[in-house]
Amino acid sequence: MTVAIVLLTLFGSAWLLAVIEGWTVTGRLRPAAPLISGLAHLGRESIVPRSPDRVFFEAAPVLLLVVAVLGAAVLPLAPDLVIADLGTGALFINAALAYVLVALIMAGWGPNGAYAMIGGWRFLGQLIAYSMLIVMPITAVAMRAESLVNTAIVGSQAALWNIVYQPLGFVLFYIAAMALAFRSPFDLPTAEGELAGGVDAEYTGVRLAVLRLARLTLVVTLASATTVFYLGGWHGPLLPPWAWSLIKTLAVAVSMLLAGGYLPRIREADLMRWCWTLGIPLALLNIVIVGLLILVVP
Amino acid sequence: MGAQAFFLAVFGLAAIGFGVAVFRTSSMVRSALALLFSQTAVGCMFLVMQTEFLGVLQIMMMATEMSIMAIFMVMFMMDPGGLGGMDMTHQKRFSIGAGVVAAGAAIAVALLADWGAVTAQAPDAAMQTRELGHELLGRSMLIFETAGVTILTAMIAATAVAIPVQNLASKDDKEVSQ
Amino acid sequence: MTSDPTMPLVGVRQQKRPSALQKLVSRAMARNLSCLVVPGPEVALAHGLDVTAAGMRTAATPRDAGVLLIIGELSQKMDEAAAVLYAQMPRPRAVLVLGGPAPSSLPHADVSAGLSQEELAEAVGRLRRAMAEGAFAASPEDFDASVLNVRIEYVCPMHPEVVQDEPGSCPKCGMDLVAHEAGDDTGTAEAGAGHGHHHDHEHHEHHEHHEHHEHHEHHEHHEHHEHHEHHEHHEHHEHHENHGHDDEQHQDHGHEHCHDPEPQDQDHHKHHQDHEHHHGGDHEHHHDEAEGQSEHDHSGHDHSGHDHGAGGFMSMIEVTKDLPRSADGLQMDWLEVPFGPVFPGLPGGLKLTFTLDGDGVTAGQATSLVGMATEGDDFEEVEAGTFIEHLASAMPLAPVSYRLLACQAIEQAARVNDDPATTQARNSALERERIASHLGWLAQVGRQLGFTWLTHRASTLQLQVRDANRKRLVALEPALRALGTRLGRTPLLKARLKGIGVLPTESSDLRGPMARAANEGGDAWARLWQRLAEISASLDLIKGAGEPELPSLCDIGDVSGTGETTVDTPRGEARLSLKLEHGHVKSYKLDTACSHHIGLVEKLVEGRELGDALVAVGSLDLSPWEVAP
Repeated sequence: MTVAIVLLTLFGSAWLLAVIEGWTVTGRLRPAAPLISGLAHLGRESIVPRSPDRVFFEAAPVLLLVVAVLGAAVLPLAPDLVIADLGTGALFINAALAYVLVALIMAGWGPNGAYAMIGGWRFLGQLIAYSMLIVMPITAVAMRAESLVNTAIVGSQAALWNIVYQPLGFVLFYIAAMALAFRSPFDLPTAEGELAGGVDAEYTGVRLAVLRLARLTLVVTLASATTVFYLGGWHGPLLPPWAWSLIKTLAVAVSMLLAGGYLPRIREADLMRWCWTLGIPLALLNIVIVGLLILVVP
Repeated sequence: MGAQAFFLAVFGLAAIGFGVAVFRTSSMVRSALALLFSQTAVGCMFLVMQTEFLGVLQIMMMATEMSIMAIFMVMFMMDPGGLGGMDMTHQKRFSIGAGVVAAGAAIAVALLADWGAVTAQAPDAAMQTRELGHELLGRSMLIFETAGVTILTAMIAATAVAIPVQNLASKDDKEVSQ
Repeated sequence: MTSDPTMPLVGVRQQKRPSALQKLVSRAMARNLSCLVVPGPEVALAHGLDVTAAGMRTAATPRDAGVLLIIGELSQKMDEAAAVLYAQMPRPRAVLVLGGPAPSSLPHADVSAGLSQEELAEAVGRLRRAMAEGAFAASPEDFDASVLNVRIEYVCPMHPEVVQDEPGSCPKCGMDLVAHEAGDDTGTAEAGAGHGHHHDHEHHEHHEHHEHHEHHEHHEHHEHHEHHEHHEHHEHHEHHENHGHDDEQHQDHGHEHCHDPEPQDQDHHKHHQDHEHHHGGDHEHHHDEAEGQSEHDHSGHDHSGHDHGAGGFMSMIEVTKDLPRSADGLQMDWLEVPFGPVFPGLPGGLKLTFTLDGDGVTAGQATSLVGMATEGDDFEEVEAGTFIEHLASAMPLAPVSYRLLACQAIEQAARVNDDPATTQARNSALERERIASHLGWLAQVGRQLGFTWLTHRASTLQLQVRDANRKRLVALEPALRALGTRLGRTPLLKARLKGIGVLPTESSDLRGPMARAANEGGDAWARLWQRLAEISASLDLIKGAGEPELPSLCDIGDVSGTGETTVDTPRGEARLSLKLEHGHVKSYKLDTACSHHIGLVEKLVEGRELGDALVAVGSLDLSPWEVAP
C-alpha cells in the first residue's frame, strides 16, 4: 500500500512537472500533453543504432528510472509513509544516486555515437564537481539530527527547519542537486546546442519515453530529498503531513525546472573550479558552523 | 535464515559471475562496469548479512570509483571498445599461480581463524552505525588517519609526477624515447 | 504535391491492420508533432515563420523529430543532407515543404505550402490529419537514396593495399579480411568524402572505437534490404526494419556483435594498421635494444612478434608513445566528428568538422553547404531586376542588405542618381534588418547555450521587428533596450562568454561588428555587447530617418556600364562589383564579410574545449549563405 502511494506520488509529480515544462516551452497549460507525448512515443519506432553495446543501450534508461525510484523509497512523505525507513537512509540516497552516473555512462557508451559518448563522460567530470557538495551538506544535516535515519532527520527540524539552521548547506545542496539531475544550466551531458542531445541523442520511441520519465522522476526524488533534509519534511500547520511534503517537494522541483530557462549553460571548467575552490570550502565551513551550533546551543 | 542464506548465495554467485565477466569481454567499459556490478553484489551480500552501513557504503563508493576507472581505461587503452578482440589476460601462468595461492589463503583464513561465537541477534542498523563511529573515532582512529593521510600523499605525489613540465614537454618526450 | 489526407505518409510504420490502440496512438502522434527545420530555425525566423505558434515543437535532432520541415529551395548539398536527416528520423515521419520544390533526394512531400505563417498553420492542420489517418500502413515503401548507399570493400588489417570486393583472407598474411565502408561511386563527392575520410588522415588514424564501428558487417546489408544512413549529423545509424514483424525492436541480431566478448569482430583494421604505422619501427627498436642486437632493421615492419597477446605484458607507454599528444599531455584516440549542417546551436548549412580529443578540439574547420557563387564571370546574362531577386533570395538571413547592395550597384552602373528620400528609406530598412539580424543571432546564442528565455524573447522580438514600420519600432524600443539590461544582469553569461573566441591580434580580415568589437577585448562577450549597442544605434538612426522601405530598382532602361558599391550588412561590409550590358547583368563579383570570417574558425577552435569552441564559432555570427561554397 505504502509502495503504491509513494509510486503514485512520484509519477504524479513527474507528470505535473512535465505539464509545467510544456507550459514554459509552448506557453499553453495542457494537462494531457505529457500523456499524449508518452502515447506518441509508444507509436514511434524505437531505433537501435548500428553496432551498439546492446546491454548498455537497453539497460541505461531503466537503470536511471530504478535509481530514481530507489532514492525516493527511503524518503518519508509522512511519519509512517515511507517504503523503507533505513537505519542509513541519508547515506542510502547517496548510494542510489551514485548510479545516475553509471546509467549515464552506459547511455553514453551504449549507442556508439560520438555525441552520446562525450555526454556520458562529461557527466563523470560533473560528478567530480558536485558529489562532494551532495555528501558534505548531508553530513551537517545528519550531525544535527544525530542520525542517518530520514524520519529522525525530519523530526530534528520540528522546531526549526534546516534551511534556517544551516542556510549555507541548503544553497550548496540545492545547486548540487540540480547538477546531479543534470537540469539546465547543468545539462552538460545532454547539452542540446553543444552535443545535439548528448546521452539522449540516440534514444527514440519507448526507450526515450522511459528516459524522459526517469529524468523527471529524478528531479522529484531530489526535490523530495531537499524537502526532507532542509525544508522540515512533513512539518507544517493545518494541512495533513503528506500534503506538506508534497507541496514542498513540488515547489522545489518546479523551481529547479524553471531556474534553468533563465540561465545559460555553465562551462564545464567553471563548474569544476567553482565547486572545488568555493563550494567545498563553504561546505566544510557549514560543517564547522553546524558543529559549533550543536555544541553551543543546547 | 533460509531466505538469508539463499540471497547470500545469489549475490555471491552474482559477484563471481560479474567477476568472470570482467575478463570475458574485451571492451574496457564493459570490463570496468562488470567489476562495478561485481562489487555491488558484494555490497548486497553485506546488506543480506545485516551490516547495512558497510553494504550501502560499498555500493556507493564503487559506483564512482569504477566509473573513474572506466574512463582511465578508455583513455589509456588502445582499443577501448574491444573491437580488435584483444585478450584481456596476460602473464597467464603467473596469474593462475597467484590466484590459486590467494584463494587457498582466503579459504585457509576462513576455515582456520577463530571467529568466536555466532551472534544470536545483530544490533539494528542505527546501533551498528553508532558503534562503527565510536570504533573509527576511538581505538582505530590512528590506523584510519594514517591510512587516509598516506592515500592523500600518494594522490598528490602521483598527480605531481604525472603533470608534464610545461613548455619542455616535447623535448622531454624525445629524451625519454631515446 | 499536396497529398490527400487519407493517403498514408511516405514514412509510415509498417503494420498490417491498424488496431484500435494504434488509431489512438496515431491521433496522439498527430497532436504531438515535433519538427526538424531544414536548413535551420533561424531561416524560419528570418522568413517570419513561427513554428511553435503553428503548433509544432522544434526538435533539436532528427531522432526527436517526426516532421522534416524544409524551408525554401535547398542547395544540392543540403538536399543530400536532408535525405540523411530524413533517414535518421524514427517512423512514422513526414515531410513538410514550404515555398520550394520537394528535395529530389526525398520521396514526395506529404504536405507542401507557401512561405507564410497562415499557410504554415494550415499545412500543419493537414499534416495532423495525414498523421492521424495514415501513420500505419500495411506496405511501407523503403526509403533509399543514392547518398545513403555505400560500397563495401574488404581490406586486410595488416596490408592496406589489399582491397577486395569479396570477403576472404589476405593473400600476403592469411588474415581474415575486414569489411570496410567506402563511398558509393554513384554518390556525390560530399558523401564520398564523409565515408572515405578514414583513408586520408594519416596523422590521426587513431579514432575512437566508435569510428571503427562504422566500417563493418555490410555483407549483411546486401541480404536484408535495409536503410543505411550515413550522416552529417550523427555518425551512422540504421533503421533495422524487419518487415512483417511486430512494430518494435527492429534490431537485426545478426549485426550486434560489436562489443561482444567473442572475438568475431574483425573490423579493426585501422587499428592494426596504426600499430604498424606508428609503432612498428619502435617496437623493433625497443626489442632490438632489449635483445642486444645491433641491426636496426626498421623497414621490415615485421609485426608478428608484437602481437598484443603474444608478447607478454603489453605496456601502454610503449604502444602509445608515438601517438600525437594533446595539450594536456594525454595520448588519446582522436575522433573526427561533424557538427552540422543541421545542428542545434549552429546556423543551418554551416558544417564544422572537429577532430576531437576527448572533449577537446584538436583541429576544426568550417565549410558552407549553402553559399552562392561569389563570382559570376561568364554566366548567362540575367535581367537586372532578376539579378536583384536572385541575390536577395540567396541570402535568407540578410535579404534586404543584399537587395540594397544589388540595387545600388546596378544604379551606379546605370548612372542613375537616387534621391535623398529613397536613400533614407532604404537606410531605414537596412537598419531595421540589422536589428532583426542581431536579434536572430541572440536567439541562436540562446539555443546554443540552452538559455531558453533568451531564445524565446529574441525570436519574438525578431518576428515583430522584421516588418515593423517606424512607429512600431519606436514602440518596441523599450523592450529592445530592456533585453540588453537583462542580459547584463544574467548570472553565468559573462563567465560563459568572457575570454572565449579571442581572435589573434593580427587578424586583419575582420569586418562589421567583429571588427568593432575587436578593440573591446575581441571575445564573445565583447561581440555580444557590440551587437546590443548596434541595435540601439540602429534604433536611433531609424528614428532620425524615414519610414523603412524595401529597396526596389527604378527603371534603368537599356544601359551599360560598371558599378561597384559597398553596403554595411549586419555581418559586415559586403562589396559588389558588376558589369551591366543593355540592362542585363553580364558579370559580378561579390565579397562578403562571412567569407572572410569563416577562415577564422580554424584558429578559434584549436585546443579549446568543445563547448567553448562552439560558442566561439557562434559568436562570429557566420551566415553560411554568404560564404562561397
